[in-house]
Amino acid sequence: MTKQGATLAIEGGASLGARIDASMDEAAIIRAAQSGDAEAFERLVRSYDQQVLRLAMNLLRNPDDARDVYQETFLRVYRNLSSFRFDCSFSTWLYRIAANLCLDQLRKRRVRRTESSVVETEEGSVDRLETVPEARPQGDPQRAALNRELRTSIEAALNSLTPRERLVFELRHFQGMRLREIGEALGSSEEAAKNCLFRATQKMRQALGEFL
Amino acid sequence: MNCEKVRELIPLYLYGELAFDEEERLEEHLSACPACASERARCEKLTALLAQGEAVLSAELLSRCRRDLATALEKERRGRGLAARWRALWSKWLSAPPAWFRPVGAVALVALGFFGARLLPEDLAWPGRSAQAQPVVGRVRLIDTAPGGIVRVQYEEVRPRELRGSFEDERIRRLLLAAAMDPTDPGLRVESIDLLKDRTADAEVRRALIDALRSDDNPAVRLKAIEALRPYAHEPETRKALAQVLLADTHAGVRIAAVELLANVKEPDVAGAFQQLLHREEDQYIRQRTLKALDEMKASYGTF
Ligand SMILES: [Zn+2]
Repeated sequence: MTKQGATLAIEGGASLGARIDASMDEAAIIRAAQSGDAEAFERLVRSYDQQVLRLAMNLLRNPDDARDVYQETFLRVYRNLSSFRFDCSFSTWLYRIAANLCLDQLRKRRVRRTESSVVETEEGSVDRLETVPEARPQGDPQRAALNRELRTSIEAALNSLTPRERLVFELRHFQGMRLREIGEALGSSEEAAKNCLFRATQKMRQALGEFL
Repeated sequence: MNCEKVRELIPLYLYGELAFDEEERLEEHLSACPACASERARCEKLTALLAQGEAVLSAELLSRCRRDLATALEKERRGRGLAARWRALWSKWLSAPPAWFRPVGAVALVALGFFGARLLPEDLAWPGRSAQAQPVVGRVRLIDTAPGGIVRVQYEEVRPRELRGSFEDERIRRLLLAAAMDPTDPGLRVESIDLLKDRTADAEVRRALIDALRSDDNPAVRLKAIEALRPYAHEPETRKALAQVLLADTHAGVRIAAVELLANVKEPDVAGAFQQLLHREEDQYIRQRTLKALDEMKASYGTF
């Protein structure tokens, strides 16, 4: 169990690094897309769209909202690609767009949540209407129940984070980005990202203490 | 480093985000303090548990996203994206002066740029093609290096073309419609619309004129479009566009032309637009003209 978690984070980081190494080719593709080559643009979309969708889905937990973020992200990339000057990596630029859209959604939702179905628990506010993601097929019903309980708790813990903490945590934990890159993508310092991550992990640790 | 500080830093340590010497001191502490070492194990377990919190991405959602994006991009390309690309490409590739576009009696003489060729329906041949001029190297699209010092350059080639024909020629008509939207040259747009104004019986021509009226950023072009649409002011679509222009156009001259045209259209929606206009219009002449028109329509305010 322990090992699994550790490799998860490392793998995320490694794949991102590999992408950056391949940036020689990528620059050519970006230039072609910038000059209106639709096929090149399609290739750019295909090399990043699963990560964008995963990011949106993890953060927003709703397929329709995730789809909206996905679409808006790549439309903005399309519209603004000509102004991309290679002064940061393309993935940082892309994440900046996607992350800000997710952040907007999360903030909007906070407002919505305070006026709707919020339940205050010891772990923070929980939205009763928010669906828990479907459990992966499980044979053992007892284990399934435990998993379900765990998932609900994780969900509640994640919801207790501020949108910014939530985003930084997501980018570091699930997307495997380094804090330096996260700072760059969010237009803030590495130190600020570190503080966010620090607060987020503290809250997660506290909220999920009973399962450890 | 004391236990409290160590416990705070363990999560960052597990992410590999501690400075080198911070990490050193923390590891030193962990090897000597069983309580903190077990906290480290708990945090590692937390990391593992959180994997369960990751949303499941279905292939169905991904393919739906891709499909919807393709549709949205297509729309984008056809609309604003195309206009922007035209602007860039025409200006690069077409250096012909606006004077090339001159009607000669009932026959239009049209020089063609790169996009002219693209605009023609595929099934239309090119009998009127003149002897080819030397191709011109346009924009370089891609530069690539391969091993052995080979450089690959991909570029666009542009050949100016010329087409002669009467207005009845479908290709001429299409080119005129294209020229009416050529973003680089307002003079060319005015002249094309002037030529097209005798062809407004054609619904496609009218649509192009309405588009120009609604979205051309040059007031001279919008005025020309209003003039060309004069015979159709009573038609619902034209009327609607005129009313929109009346309420939204920033150029007073264009609003005046729209009022003049709509004044003769005695329809409730026009009267409604006039009344709306009175709430926001600051130009005194336009206000008076609008009041007079409403009066002529014998519309008491608020009746419509
Ligand atoms: Zn200790």
